[in-house]
Amino acid sequence: MTIPTFILKNALRNKRRALLSISSGAVSLFLLVTLQVALRELTLPPQSAGAELRVAVRNKISITNPLPVRQRGIIEKIPGVEAVTPFTWFGGKYKGEEGMSFAQFAMDADKLHSVFGEAKMNGDGYEKFNATKDACVLGKITADKYHLKVGDQMTLDSTIYPGSLSFHIAGIYFGTPDDRNMLFRQDYLDESIGEPGYVGMWWLKVKSADDMVPVIKAINAAFQNTSAEVRAESERNFQLGFISMLGNIKTLIASISTVVVFTLVLVTASTMSMAVRERFRELAILKALGFRRRELFAFILAESFGLAVAGALLGIGGAYCLYTFGDIGKMTAGIFVSFEVTPRIMGVAALVAALLGIIAAVAPSLSVARMSVVNGLKTLD
Amino acid sequence: MAEPIVKIRELTKLYSQGEIQVTALDRITLDIAAGEFLALMGPSGSGKSTLLHIIAGVDRPTSGQCLVQGVDVTKLNESALADWRNHNVGFIFQTFNLIPVLTAAENVELPLLLTRLSRTQRRKQVETALEVVGLADRAKHLPRQLSGGQEQRVAIARALVTDPALIVADEPTGNLDSHSAQEVLGALQSLRKDAGKTIIMVTHDPKAAAFGTRQIHLEKGELS
Ligand SMILES: Nc1ncnc2c1ncn2[C@@H]1O[C@H](COP(=O)(O)OP(=O)(O)OP(=O)(O)O)[C@@H](O)[C@H]1O
Ligand SMILES: [Mg+2]
Repeated sequence: MTIPTFILKNALRNKRRALLSISSGAVSLFLLVTLQVALRELTLPPQSAGAELRVAVRNKISITNPLPVRQRGIIEKIPGVEAVTPFTWFGGKYKGEEGMSFAQFAMDADKLHSVFGEAKMNGDGYEKFNATKDACVLGKITADKYHLKVGDQMTLDSTIYPGSLSFHIAGIYFGTPDDRNMLFRQDYLDESIGEPGYVGMWWLKVKSADDMVPVIKAINAAFQNTSAEVRAESERNFQLGFISMLGNIKTLIASISTVVVFTLVLVTASTMSMAVRERFRELAILKALGFRRRELFAFILAESFGLAVAGALLGIGGAYCLYTFGDIGKMTAGIFVSFEVTPRIMGVAALVAALLGIIAAVAPSLSVARMSVVNGLKTLD
Repeated sequence: MAEPIVKIRELTKLYSQGEIQVTALDRITLDIAAGEFLALMGPSGSGKSTLLHIIAGVDRPTSGQCLVQGVDVTKLNESALADWRNHNVGFIFQTFNLIPVLTAAENVELPLLLTRLSRTQRRKQVETALEVVGLADRAKHLPRQLSGGQEQRVAIARALVTDPALIVADEPTGNLDSHSAQEVLGALQSLRKDAGKTIIMVTHDPKAAAFGTRQIHLEKGELS
């Protein structure tokens, strides 16, 4: 026998308790990892290629206020602007569904490639989108969800405009961080709602990263003191603006995480206290045999640490496997498209587990330190 | 006469509980010669365990001296005392001596984990110790698979495995039937005869005490 085997035998003497303690650690750490990944995914929008050259222009008052079409000519003339497209929220419901399960935007067909170039399409999707007025392109996730393919017709009931619109699918796109949107032609929308002269937003592409700041400044200045003042910002800032609305969710996730960790500390600490208390007499005998305090501490710490780490391996490893090899889109019904368990999150969770193992050993170690051999021997006598 | 292995002078142990003071040991003076098998007798509460604990270095007196092999154990610090116990004293308690999750051999091996001995050396010493108490064939048994008498003999093996000069036993037969008690007492007796160990045994039982080479009586903390 060696000291490690002695510690192992002690830790596993009450198999059910060891198992329960490891499981509660595993479940809590699984939960912690899940929450942290969710938090990260919510606060860190997927960065698409080309995002650093894209600018979003919206009405300064609110994103729901439209912009006049005459702005396009002015924006296009600003030096550094490569391409501009309208981008209008349609707010359509598909097949009489309760809510909107994917977003639809109207835009210029010929600008799809220049502004959102990372969207890839097989076949002649781009050409057909350009050629046919009622054409639309659909993200692969949505297409798969509804079993739609190129050539199919789809009809959407708008929650903003009266009536519904029908489209022919010209292509299925993929390769963006979130292949879910449906894009159709602004001219088709204008025609069907009687040429209102307004669009939802402008999206544009600048020629180089150096043009970004001057272009944004120029656009903001161009419409100052007009009836439709705008706010131009980089794609990243635009998305972060959305995320600031998630502030409450962030606080909620942070507080749930704290509760999870705190509960785990209590559970582990009480398990260790129990484990040590029922062995008080044995620890006194070990002391009598010549084991010093620090050796007994090491035994307790190793056991507590071992249980915490075993739970961590199961919980963190389980989360990693599930989210890496599982289909997160399916599991979350499409709420998350990516759910990356980063090394940093795993590291933090492992650190929490390690600290937990140490904290749980403190109270029992203190009581063992205070115990004299004579008093220890009297317990259970 | 040779220098005694245990030399006790004016040893006093007081317990104060609020206003009341209990004198567990009252200025005890006692010499124990090497190779003695001392039976320590006396009524309950007379201070037998207290005296034994101080000699074995697990308790400290209020005043007085206790030299074991010339070392004043009352003056050693915690850590030095632990080390001293490991090398110089073997313990046998009345009950629950053994760690339930360890086999007989592993229980005997425990004190050796603190030494620098190699694994094979440790195994050899464990085997020898178990042979001495006649339990070589029970090495792989867990405590619950042993009889009460066998458990106590495993405890004896554990007490002698580090080859200490002194073995202390607090009512080692207190929980045993007379047959098992005979076995345990016989084992202790042969330790003295064959290995020359000094044994101090607390007992209530005059028949057990008869196995000793000398009997002393404690009464209210004083030798009588
Ligand atoms: N921790 C303590 N606090 C106060 N008094 C104590 C304490 N430990 C022992 N005593 C007292 O010291 C005296 C001697 O106790 P000790 O345990 O040495 O007796 P004993 O002879 O071993 O008795 P027994 O045969 O019942 O084991 C008793 O009166 C006891 O009440
Ligand atoms: Mg006693």
